[in-house]
Amino acid sequence: MVLTLREIEKAFGEKKVLKGISFTAEGGKAFGLLGRNGAGKTTTIRILMNVFSQDGGEVLLDGKPIDYNKIGFGYLPEERGLYPKQKIIDQLVYFAELKGMSRKDAVKSVDFWLDRLGMSEHRNKKLETLSKGNQQKIQLITALAHDPDIVILDEPFSGLDPVNAMLLKDVVKETIAKGKIVLFSSHQMNYIEEFCDSIAILNGGQIVLTGDLREIKHNYPRNRLDIRSEQGEKIAAEYGDACTVGENGELSLLLSDPAEKAKVMQHLAETYEIDGVCVHEPSLNDIFVEYTEKQI
Amino acid sequence: MKQFGKVLKFELKKHLTSKGFVGVTIFLVVVIAIVMFIPRITALLESGEGDDTPTDLPVMLVKAESDDVASLMKEYFASAFPGYDVQTTAEGTDAIVEKITSGEVECAFALEGMTSYTYYVNNLSMFDEKTAVADGVLRDVYRVNAMLAGGMTEEQAADAMGVVIEGKVESLGKDQAQNFFYTYIMIFALYVVIILYGNMVSTSVATEKSSRAMELLITSAKPTAMMFGKVLAACIAGLTQLVLIFGSAALFYNLNKSAWGGNEIVSAFFDIPVSLLVYMAVFFILGFLIYAFLFGAIGSTVSKLEDVSTAIMPVMYLFIFGFMVVIFSMTSGSVDNTLMKVCSYIPFTSPMAMFTRIAMSTVPAGGIAASIAILIASTVGIGFLSAKIYRAGVLMYGTAPKLGSIIKAVLKA
Repeated sequence: MVLTLREIEKAFGEKKVLKGISFTAEGGKAFGLLGRNGAGKTTTIRILMNVFSQDGGEVLLDGKPIDYNKIGFGYLPEERGLYPKQKIIDQLVYFAELKGMSRKDAVKSVDFWLDRLGMSEHRNKKLETLSKGNQQKIQLITALAHDPDIVILDEPFSGLDPVNAMLLKDVVKETIAKGKIVLFSSHQMNYIEEFCDSIAILNGGQIVLTGDLREIKHNYPRNRLDIRSEQGEKIAAEYGDACTVGENGELSLLLSDPAEKAKVMQHLAETYEIDGVCVHEPSLNDIFVEYTEKQI
Repeated sequence: MKQFGKVLKFELKKHLTSKGFVGVTIFLVVVIAIVMFIPRITALLESGEGDDTPTDLPVMLVKAESDDVASLMKEYFASAFPGYDVQTTAEGTDAIVEKITSGEVECAFALEGMTSYTYYVNNLSMFDEKTAVADGVLRDVYRVNAMLAGGMTEEQAADAMGVVIEGKVESLGKDQAQNFFYTYIMIFALYVVIILYGNMVSTSVATEKSSRAMELLITSAKPTAMMFGKVLAACIAGLTQLVLIFGSAALFYNLNKSAWGGNEIVSAFFDIPVSLLVYMAVFFILGFLIYAFLFGAIGSTVSKLEDVSTAIMPVMYLFIFGFMVVIFSMTSGSVDNTLMKVCSYIPFTSPMAMFTRIAMSTVPAGGIAASIAILIASTVGIGFLSAKIYRAGVLMYGTAPKLGSIIKAVLKA
């Protein structure tokens, strides 16, 4: 399964919210949809799920226009919320039935997921009696119980304690392993790095960067050295503005020419007492900040 | 269609199992049971007390210029006011006033001649008709005296005064006096149920929106399925509650029918023609749906629960206007006035106006059919429009959107 969004455009009144969004997500892999608040992620997701239609462009599955009657979506919205005063089992079965499951299958599937997420004991309780983290697990079941083809998880880890985050990680990995298309939207870059093979960064309704995450990182200019040394001040004095001191006392040296890195490293090792020096490996966070710092 | 069924089932269960629904229904059924058993309980208590008739009737004083006239007037007043202990007095005005203000005496008639009097009473009730009765008594006495003075014998005068006129009324249409009571109750029930359940629909939509359950719902079900399911569930719940309340009233009445025997108003209420009940059901369902759709659509445009009551106000005013027109027309006795005729064909007022006219007047079958047809078409139209507003409204967060932006969003949806 390959999901393709091609040149999606959307305007609300005079305001153009999406200006030609294009990306491709594959089954059996997780895709990270990143962007600052107001970049157009939720609008993209809503168009993808047919909540409203786009002004231009198309949504394709395996090269053909997506058939919403046949393809199931599972959605964990960023803004969580179910029926606080209803029994958990009743509302989970209700949502699974709305997604097309028979009552019998819905009950079976919901019971499976309650058990999988360690929530069986809360089956007949009202939602409002649960903690925030547990409510989030219940909401996750609404996204997975009907065995959807495409799973969209918007900030799935927010509000979870480390144990529950671990449990969710396992569930996400299982879902990816089942060949589903998993779309991730999060500001917690470490999770994106852990799961996503490909990403798209949105800024001001445009894709400013998209592609394979490893390639993006690989192609990122390797022009910065991380240096650990007791003689930081002397090094900083030699390189002036090109050298900055990080919070942990580590030096970061920006090279004018990346090809000189071996030569500079050798010079540093010979001139100063160096505890460690290496080429800076860019994190997704660095890349994200660089591409979205200036809002378009 | 399948989604509609699921939404309907879920929403209906939510209504029927809510504490409010169960509590109010049980409370009303118990109250009705108590009211319906009152005559039987009273009869039981009275039979237990034996034949002792209460002697502490309120006292009415009669004062005249001479003792003879006073004792004669006492007889006339005693027969005209059977609920009073009529006594004569020769005391002055101050003493009479003192007795009335102290509560010893309820009221007094001080006659000044045979054609004028002063009526003393502490608080004049809105429904005090004693002066009218006293006028009649004095007028009769005056006429009898005049007849005797004119040479008639006492028998002739008594015959003339007591002549019995036989008259029959053949009402070709409806008897408004008989129908008024149950029409009023049915209109009032319609009013209460629409206000109550309509409010529930808008609050339910607004709650889903403010709790963000909407985020999931809108991606799980079609807006038409959501809106129609929700509104129809509220309609069925309202109808169920009405059937339970009126059904239990009918049951308890039948259990106590003999005890209620003489009460014409109550027996008229439980003797409503079946055709009228069918009309009631038709106008109730259509009237409920058209308003509930509007309430639901409005609920979808607000982001906070506290904004619901302000947002639904225009529709509420429209509804109250229709109710007022009907009630004023009913109480003034002219249910076929021009305003009522116009309101009978406007979908937002016709459920109450046309129903009242059917119940209390004679409306041509074509008129009824036209009114119902307009109402059905409008209800379906409003239903689909409200689903569109719902679809556009539920995604609008922040301050309550202006009408213009809602219309724009609906046109784009």
